[in-house]
Amino acid sequence: MRAHLQIAGGDLTIGQKLLRVPWLAFVVMALIVCIGLASLYSVAGGSFSPWAERHVVRFLAGAGLMLVIAVIPRGFWLGLANPVYLIALVLVGAVLFIGTEGGGAKRWLSLGGVTFQPSEVMKLALILALARYYQWLGPERVSHPLWMIAPILLIAAPVGLTLMQPDLGTAILLSVIGLAIMFLAGVHLLYFLGGAAGVALAAPYAWSMLHPYQRKRLEVFLNPDTDPLGAGYHIAQSKIALGSGGLTGRGFMNGTQSQLDFLPEKRTDFIFTMFAEEWGFIGSLVLIGLFAALTLMLLVMASRCASPFSRLVIAGTGVMIFIYTFINVAMVSGLVPVVGVPLPLVSYGGTSMMTIALAMGLSMCAYVHRGQGMPRRIGVVV
Amino acid sequence: MFGASDNEEDRRRFLRRVGLIGLAQVAGFGVLGARLYQLQVVDQRQYGELAEANRTMRQVIAPLRGRIFDRNGRIVADTVERFQAMVTPSLAGDLEAVLDRIHAIRPLSQDERRRVMEAARGQSANTSIVVIDDITWREVAALNFHALRLPGVHTQIAGERRYQTGPELGRIVGYMGRVERFALDDDPVLRLPTIKVGRLGVERGLEKQLRGQGGFVAREVDARRRIVRTLEQADPQRGRDVALTIDPATQKRLLARLSGHRRAAGVVLDIATGDVIALGAHPAFDASRLSAPMSEADWRKVREAQGDPLIDRASQGLYPPGSTFKMITALAALEAGVITRFDQIHCPGYVAMGRRRFRCWNRGGHGPCDLHRAIRESCDVYFYEVARKLGIRRIADMARRFGLGQSYDAGIEPIKSGLIPDPEWKRGRFGKEWYGGETLLAGIGQGYVLSTPLQLAVMTARLASGRDILPTLVRPRVDGVTQAKALKINKGHLAAVQKAMSAVVNEGGGTGKEARLNDQRLQIYGKTGTSQVARISSSVGRDQLPWRLRDHALFVGYVVDSAPRYAVAAVVEHGGSGGKVAAPLVRDIIADTVAIDAAARPVFDVSAGQRVAGGRARGRQR
Repeated sequence: MRAHLQIAGGDLTIGQKLLRVPWLAFVVMALIVCIGLASLYSVAGGSFSPWAERHVVRFLAGAGLMLVIAVIPRGFWLGLANPVYLIALVLVGAVLFIGTEGGGAKRWLSLGGVTFQPSEVMKLALILALARYYQWLGPERVSHPLWMIAPILLIAAPVGLTLMQPDLGTAILLSVIGLAIMFLAGVHLLYFLGGAAGVALAAPYAWSMLHPYQRKRLEVFLNPDTDPLGAGYHIAQSKIALGSGGLTGRGFMNGTQSQLDFLPEKRTDFIFTMFAEEWGFIGSLVLIGLFAALTLMLLVMASRCASPFSRLVIAGTGVMIFIYTFINVAMVSGLVPVVGVPLPLVSYGGTSMMTIALAMGLSMCAYVHRGQGMPRRIGVVV
Repeated sequence: MFGASDNEEDRRRFLRRVGLIGLAQVAGFGVLGARLYQLQVVDQRQYGELAEANRTMRQVIAPLRGRIFDRNGRIVADTVERFQAMVTPSLAGDLEAVLDRIHAIRPLSQDERRRVMEAARGQSANTSIVVIDDITWREVAALNFHALRLPGVHTQIAGERRYQTGPELGRIVGYMGRVERFALDDDPVLRLPTIKVGRLGVERGLEKQLRGQGGFVAREVDARRRIVRTLEQADPQRGRDVALTIDPATQKRLLARLSGHRRAAGVVLDIATGDVIALGAHPAFDASRLSAPMSEADWRKVREAQGDPLIDRASQGLYPPGSTFKMITALAALEAGVITRFDQIHCPGYVAMGRRRFRCWNRGGHGPCDLHRAIRESCDVYFYEVARKLGIRRIADMARRFGLGQSYDAGIEPIKSGLIPDPEWKRGRFGKEWYGGETLLAGIGQGYVLSTPLQLAVMTARLASGRDILPTLVRPRVDGVTQAKALKINKGHLAAVQKAMSAVVNEGGGTGKEARLNDQRLQIYGKTGTSQVARISSSVGRDQLPWRLRDHALFVGYVVDSAPRYAVAAVVEHGGSGGKVAAPLVRDIIADTVAIDAAARPVFDVSAGQRVAGGRARGRQR
C-alpha cells in the first residue's frame, strides 16, 4: 500500500505516461477544433487567412503544451497553484487601471506587445487554487464553517474584480466554476441550499441599494428586448440564422444570414450561429454531442482519480468547458442574455484557446498520474 | 501526512456528486438540443414548404451625406454619387455567360473580367462583387431594362466625399474616417462596411445632421436566390446641408497676416450675429488630406511637423489671456460695487501680500490710477488691489458671463473650453485650498486662467455689444440661438470700460497705439495683453530669452462705425509685447476685414436649395 503512494511520477517513464494520456479526449478536442476551422474558413469568405490558419496554429501550439504539461509530475503544478492564483488576481486587478477598453468594458491587458484577457487565465487559476486547497484540507474538515472562509474568498475576489470591469459573463463563469468545485469537494449540501436562500432574500435589498442608472443598465442587460436595436437586434438575427439552417443546413459557405453580414461577432462569440446555419440541426447536434462527450469524459476521468487535487482539477475543467459551451449556445439561441462568452476551441481567440489547452493539459497530467496519492502539505504558503 | 484518498466514504460521496454534475450537464445539453430543435426544425416547418424555398433579404442603404457650402454658396464638401454594377455569383448561375451579356451592354475589358472571376473564386458566392465601379445613368437604365436576362446583377449608389476646401478652409471643414468603435445603440448605418464618419471640424461637429437617415430594402428571394419581389422599402434620407459662416476672402487675408509670425492664431467675429467670419492659425493645414489614405511616413511627417499644424490654435490653443482679461475684473468690481470708476489706487510698482511681492509691468509704478487710466496703461497693481477686494468667485462669475471657461455649440469639434479657476476647481484638481495670491494673478488673467482666441473674440464681442453673443461657424445654427440676449450689465459701467478700451488705442499713454487706423469713419477699441510664460529674473532682457520662454503677445479689439461691427482676437505665441506685436497685427486684420466687409452679405441659405457652383449633377451624363 505504502509503496504505490510514493510521491512524484518517478515510477513512470515519459513513454508510459504518454500511453496513459486520454487520447480519446484529445481526438474529440481535435474534432471540435476542425469544426472551428471550417467555420472560420467560411467566415473569411472561403479563405484560410486571416483566421482559420491562425486558429490551427494556436491549437497545435496548445496541443504541444498540453502534452508537456501532462507528463510533468503533479507536485510541480500543485506547488504553482497559489503563485499562479495571486499573479492572475493581480493581473485582473491591473486591468481596471491599465487595461484597454473594448466594447465598453476594460478587459484586455497589453504586456510586451501581447494583448490578452487576464480573466480567462483567472478561471484556470481558480480551479488550481481551489483544488490545491481541498488537497491540503483533507475530507474530514471540508464542511467545517471555519474552513469555508478561504474558498469563498478565493472565489469572491476575482468575481468582485471582474464585476468592476464590468464583465458579468466572466463573473458568472467564475462563480459557477468555483461553486461546482466546492460542491465536488464535498461541502455539505445545506450550505448550498442556505446560500441560494440567502441570495434570494438579499436580492431585493441589493436592488434598492443600486443607483437608478445602474438599475437601468442591469435591466437592459437582463432583458435586451428593451433595447431592440442593440443587443436584441443581434439575437433576433442570430435566431433567424439558426432557423434558416433548418434540419440539414444551407450548406458549407452558403449561410446567407451570416455571409451577408447580419451576424455580429460572427468569428468569435456568434460562431455557433454561423456553423448551425450552414450545417443545420444535424450539424448542431454533432457539435453539441462532441462537447457533451468531452465534458462527460472529463467527469469519468475525475471519478477514476484518487487524490482530491486530481479529481477537482479534472472535474473543474469539465465544468468550465461545459459552462462555456452552455452559456455560449444558450446566448446565441436567445435563452440567456448576451454576455460575451466564447465557444471553446471553436471561437477565434488566442487567450481562450490557451486557457482550454492549459486546463486540458493539467487534467491530463492529473489523469496520467491518477494511481498515485499526493502529499497534503506542500511548501508554498498562501 | 497523506490525503485520505483511500477513504471509501469520501470516494463514494465524490462519485455521487460527480454523477449529479454529470446529470446536470446532460440536462444542460438536452436543453440546448431541445432549443435548437425548436428553432431549427419546428419553427422552420411553421412556414410550410414555401418557407423552405423563400426567404427575405434585408439590406441597409446608406444615406447620402449632406453638403457643406462656404459663405458664398460654393460647395466645399460634396458627396459625389457613383453608380456601381454589382453581381452576386450565387444568383448569377453561369457567371461567364452573365458577364458576356453585360459586355454586350457596356464593354468589359479583359482586366475587369479577370478581376470579377478571381473575386468570385476567392470568396463566398453570396457576396456581391463590383463589376464596374462607375457607370453612367444611361448604363444603369440599360442594365435594369435587361434585368431578366441578367440574374444576380444589380446596381447600387455609392457616395464618395470630395473636398474643395484648399488650405484656408481645410481644418474648419475637417475630414472623414472609418468608424473605430461601435456602441450598442449605434445607428445601423454605422455598421455598413464602407461607412465613414466625421473626425474633425464641421464633419465631426455636425456628424448627426450631415449623416442623414439610413434606408432599407427587404426582398423576397426564391429557392434559386433570385429576387422575386420587393417586400418593403424605405428610402434613405439625405443628410442636411450646411453653409459655413467663414468668408473665404477674409479667411485668406487672415491666414496671410498670421503667416508673418512663427506661430499665431486669430479670430474675426461679426458682432451683430455671432458669425465667425474668419478663424485660423499659422502654421495652417489642409485637413481634408487626411480623408484619403496616407502612408505611414507621410502621416509621421504631418504629425511631427514644426508647430503642430494639426492643432487649430484658434479654437484649441490655450493661452493665459493676460491683460486682455482686465475688462472682466473691472466690470466684476463695478457691478459688485467694490470700486467706482473714479476711485484712485496708488501704484508704487508692486503690491505686497504676505511675503510675496506682486509686480506691475511698470517697475517704476504708475502713481495714482483710476479705472480709465488703469485700463489705458494696463496697470497691474490697480487690478491686483481690485481682485483682492473682489475675491475669486466674483471674478470667475463675470468671466463666465463673458463666455470664458466654456465650450460653444458652434458647429465644429473639438473646441477647447479653457479654464476659469475657482476654489472648487482647485480642490478637485489638486486637492489644495485656494490662496489669496492666486486671486491676484487671476485678476490680471494670469495664474490658472486659460482661454482660446475664439473665446477672447467672443468676450470682446460681448464687451462691444453688451449682449450674450454666441459664436457659430455654420448656418443653420446648431445651438438654435435666434437673438442674443442682453447681458444685464449696468450701461454706465459698460460704457466706462468701452471708453477706456478706446483710450488704449487712441489716447496718449495707451498701450495699444499701434492698433490705430487712419480712417475717420472707423473707431477701434482694444486691449493689449502680454502674458507671461515663465517667471524670469529681472536681470535678463526679454529679447534675449530663448523663443519658447518669451511672453505671448495678445490683442483683442473691435471696430465701430455706426454700430459695433467686428470683434477680433489674435495671439502671437512667444511674440513678446502685445502692444508692439499683436496690436499692429489686429489693426491689419481689421483693415482687411472692413475692406472686404463680408458681414454685409448674408450667409448662403442652404434651405433655398440652389447649387451655385462646383460639384457634379446627379447621374453624370456623357
